[in-house]
Amino acid sequence: MTTINGSAIKTLVVACDAGMGSSVMLAGQLRRQLKKNGVTVVHAAVAEIPVEADVIVTHQGLADRVRGVAPDTVIVSIQLFIGDPAVARLVSAIQTGSDVGE
Amino acid sequence: MSDYTPQVTGTGLKASVQRVGGYLAGMVMPNIGAFIAWGLITALFIPTGWIPNEHFGELVGPMIKFLLPLLIGYTGGRMVHGQRGAVVGAVATVGVVVGAEQPMFLAAMVIGPLAAYLLKLFDGLLEDRIKPGFEMLIDNFSAGILGAGMAVLGAWVIGPVFRVVTDAAGDAVSWLVTHNLLPASSVLVEPAKVLFLNNAINHGVLGPLGAAEAADTGSSILFMIESNPGPGLGLLLAFMFFGPRALRPSIPAAATIQFLGGIHEIYFPYVLMKPRLILAAILGGAAGVATFMVTGVGLVATPAPGSIFAWMAVTPKGDWFGVILGIVISAAVSFAASSVLLGFGRGEKRAEQEEAEATTAVPAPRGTVPAESRKART
Repeated sequence: MTTINGSAIKTLVVACDAGMGSSVMLAGQLRRQLKKNGVTVVHAAVAEIPVEADVIVTHQGLADRVRGVAPDTVIVSIQLFIGDPAVARLVSAIQTGSDVGE
Repeated sequence: MSDYTPQVTGTGLKASVQRVGGYLAGMVMPNIGAFIAWGLITALFIPTGWIPNEHFGELVGPMIKFLLPLLIGYTGGRMVHGQRGAVVGAVATVGVVVGAEQPMFLAAMVIGPLAAYLLKLFDGLLEDRIKPGFEMLIDNFSAGILGAGMAVLGAWVIGPVFRVVTDAAGDAVSWLVTHNLLPASSVLVEPAKVLFLNNAINHGVLGPLGAAEAADTGSSILFMIESNPGPGLGLLLAFMFFGPRALRPSIPAAATIQFLGGIHEIYFPYVLMKPRLILAAILGGAAGVATFMVTGVGLVATPAPGSIFAWMAVTPKGDWFGVILGIVISAAVSFAASSVLLGFGRGEKRAEQEEAEATTAVPAPRGTVPAESRKART
């Protein structure tokens, strides 16, 4: 079971199929929310997730593929692109330094 | 296991199909700007365009027959073996495009990655065996010799084979059109779309076929099948009026992103949490395609992202009415069907109770979003 402490997250990757659409949008939202926390938020296609990713946010429908690309990284799978509770929990874990698990 | 665990849905089949589709789409999507440039030049300067111009019209042929397949072969090669792969992929693609009447996208999607893969094998074989100082010599000539060989093979065997395949695919599409069967494609396209195969279908399959048709006739209906923003808009609007109450506040933003921004992924989750709504998406999609078919309209290039603005930009002269009508009808049909499937919100109270029970049983929220997330949205 992979977990990471919120304060250890330096690079957060938002992944989507093409790395051009929904991931860019969600990354933009997260970047604004995490501006003061020293977290680099990037977006990527599933096949091109950078190795320095500490945590990967992706839609549940793509989580299987992300798991194949990044077997040892914490994956936060979401259902909604707007207002998903899993994203809210991740943001608060980073801000308060609590653990993010799978 | 908490609710961060990705739910494994079925076997790995979906992931495999997504992956293959992702490769196809990955060769096309980075080059969409070039497709749009070609589409705009076509719409403006061909004899039936806005400002016919013989000299500028000469850009059309070389762009579709050479530039676009070469970009696809180049990108496909790069995905397999970096810059070296990209170079041999592009060289090999020249082999299949030379002498072909039709744009050879399909062949480029095969020969580009194939050439890069062969070079990757060769590079792997020689790794650590090259005498110091000979690396550049061997790197350059291995790529050169392999690229030349693949280009010859492309012109000789692969190109002719794919000319037959491309013609067959084009014939199959025109058969569907002449037999009025194209709207039925929504039965496959809409469900596949919400399983995140949207890019694979649109840019991996329909886009290249559409570009081949548009090179012939100036526009294609195939660009409109997956990318129509109408069905998703209708579905989201139905959710706004009749969907789960907790979700309703997020819908206006989602609809803006979907219809104006063209990011269709935003509505997939709403279908996935109420799967019967896929019926509404299918009906809406089919109604749209039927309208486009009856009015005889097409688009000059792939509208990507599938935003209303992108659609308007690639609508050829004289097709505005049919295009807008199709979008409106598909949104209306999808809205009506979604509203019926959502029971006009009547079942909402009962469903909320059921969902509340389901939520306590399964940690992942199905259909309801706790208040914390709505706060977090701002």
